[in-house]
Amino acid sequence: MMSIQDKFKQLKKDGKKAFIVYIPFGFPHPRYTKDILLALQDTGVDIVELGIPFSDPLADGPIIQKASSRALENGANQEKMFATLQRIRSFLKTPMVIMTYYNPLFMFGVKKFFRRMNELGVSGITVVDLPLEESSHYIKEARQFDLETVFFITPTTHIGRAKKICRASRGFIYYISVTGITGPKSFSYAPLLSHIKILKNITRLPLCVGFGIHTRTQAEQINKFSDGIIVGSSIVKFIAQHYHDKDFLRKLKKYVNSFVDK
Amino acid sequence: MRLPDKSGYFGHFGGKFIPETLSFCLKELEESYLKAGKDKGFKRELRSYLKEYAGRPTPLYFAKNLSKLLGIKVYFKREDLLHTGAHKINNSLGQAILARFMGKKRLIAETGAGQHGVSVATVASLFGFRCDIYMGQEDIERQKMNVLRMKVLGARIRPVGSGSKTLKDACNEAMRDWVTNVKDTYYLLGSTVGPHPYPLLVRDFQSIIGRETKKQIVVREKRLPDYLVACVGGGSNSLGLFHPFFHDKKVKFIGVEAAGLGLGNLHAASLLKGKVGVLHGAKSFVLQDRFGQIKNAHSVAAGLDYPGVGPEHAFYKQTKRARYVAVNDKGAIEGFRLLSEVEGIIPALEPSHAIYYLRTLAKTSRGSCVVVCLSGRGDKDLEIIQKYHR
Repeated sequence: MMSIQDKFKQLKKDGKKAFIVYIPFGFPHPRYTKDILLALQDTGVDIVELGIPFSDPLADGPIIQKASSRALENGANQEKMFATLQRIRSFLKTPMVIMTYYNPLFMFGVKKFFRRMNELGVSGITVVDLPLEESSHYIKEARQFDLETVFFITPTTHIGRAKKICRASRGFIYYISVTGITGPKSFSYAPLLSHIKILKNITRLPLCVGFGIHTRTQAEQINKFSDGIIVGSSIVKFIAQHYHDKDFLRKLKKYVNSFVDK
Repeated sequence: MRLPDKSGYFGHFGGKFIPETLSFCLKELEESYLKAGKDKGFKRELRSYLKEYAGRPTPLYFAKNLSKLLGIKVYFKREDLLHTGAHKINNSLGQAILARFMGKKRLIAETGAGQHGVSVATVASLFGFRCDIYMGQEDIERQKMNVLRMKVLGARIRPVGSGSKTLKDACNEAMRDWVTNVKDTYYLLGSTVGPHPYPLLVRDFQSIIGRETKKQIVVREKRLPDYLVACVGGGSNSLGLFHPFFHDKKVKFIGVEAAGLGLGNLHAASLLKGKVGVLHGAKSFVLQDRFGQIKNAHSVAAGLDYPGVGPEHAFYKQTKRARYVAVNDKGAIEGFRLLSEVEGIIPALEPSHAIYYLRTLAKTSRGSCVVVCLSGRGDKDLEIIQKYHR
């Protein structure tokens, strides 16, 4: 797998924006994740965000909440996730970011978790509920294993704080479009644009926007000023509605590609 | 040593493990609280409401009959006599006045037994806030009277049907609301849990319990008690009683957790059976599996039915400042009956756990002087008790 940094270098050279897709591991069942990941390899997806389901996902809306509890009921856990990645390792070309809440990472052991990621060539990690103040140990360990730590900036993040977050970030910055939880929303572009403009002055890292994006128009609008977009809940919803279908993977690929030109 | 330290830690426990969106409001809350603490008007107003509206100071009642029966001297700190029927109002008044100080227009809260919800609905009505209360569907079912009270007071009840449908999930939902409406909304957390500065804030507002107790017991006994006993769910009534005695090393603290159906079965004893982890923004003891997924708790007392516990308790446990024990559902029901029958006081099921534990304590500590926090009254639990009626 390519590193995230290298992926963005390549995208920049090609004059393209990053298309990042979130899927929860183990949804609807751990045995699906392998095929979904492989299917995403032949789409326009540039980076895959693989979520670890958590029993108490307080930053997530109903769609991802339901998917998480479904995945957990069906036995999803960190070990199965690593085993799945191990099995298809040689087929995975798209760079990957593991997205998790802190407790599953903490209980597994931060160091042990990072070592596994490193062995599998997964380079990105982001933790929903680990703000900068709590992350010194995490950052230290991540650097040791050469992982790319993706942090969040939100509309409520002040500029002074944003600077510190940028310094701790590797790969890209995850910009949260609006204050709130994950799930489809409509939003106004003007405040987003002005905040991102300010952020562009303080960092050279790519800024990708996530939370709420569920249409192609939104994606195009946001990509006018961001370096990429992240789509999560819509994809999860699509999987929930179609995983029973005979040609599920083909439909999924088509749906995913509908967000971008490629 | 300052507890918590500047980063919100009690030793290894506490902190603020929250999504970035909330960093700003926690900082704002922390700063406002510091400012309010120096503001004479704020303190005067709080003091006046606690006295005139809530009914403080509450009596420290010497339970003669129970003392005779058990062979120890038992005092009850009568928080059950407060307006709204539980200690929760101490914190709700404090935080509501703070919220007004901060210019917020809307209060949200989570509730388990409904006591915290009722107290928030009460202060919302008193000060003119809009108010939404998140409550698990299972708790709505078993605490109907409190649901009605909140509605009468003008609060909107938001039923939570996700996860275990109890306090933990109500907490998640309240946090989701807060993340979405950070600008005008104040999250009035009801226990000594959550990200910094909540464990500090709630403990401070509840410490009036212990401060009054200290004065009252010295008048009665000319000395400090041997034991302080209180039930522990999130930890607000127990820390309210314990904290002012922290430096009085001869006063022993006993926290009584809910053993539910038994410690080998479903229970809510996070300190006794949990492992260190992060839940609702703080590092503490949590009931969880080996992959870090939070387990469902159970207690007959909805107010103790929570798989986590405040970080200050985790610190007391680790430093052995307090001892923790557990009483199961059946014991709590017996404690409830005991106090009703012997003293004519109907306690809530939560402090009934602590009352039952007095039997055990009496066996090893005859003649000692004990203060129990009677955190709430039992009207809300009569329906549950009926089911257990002999």
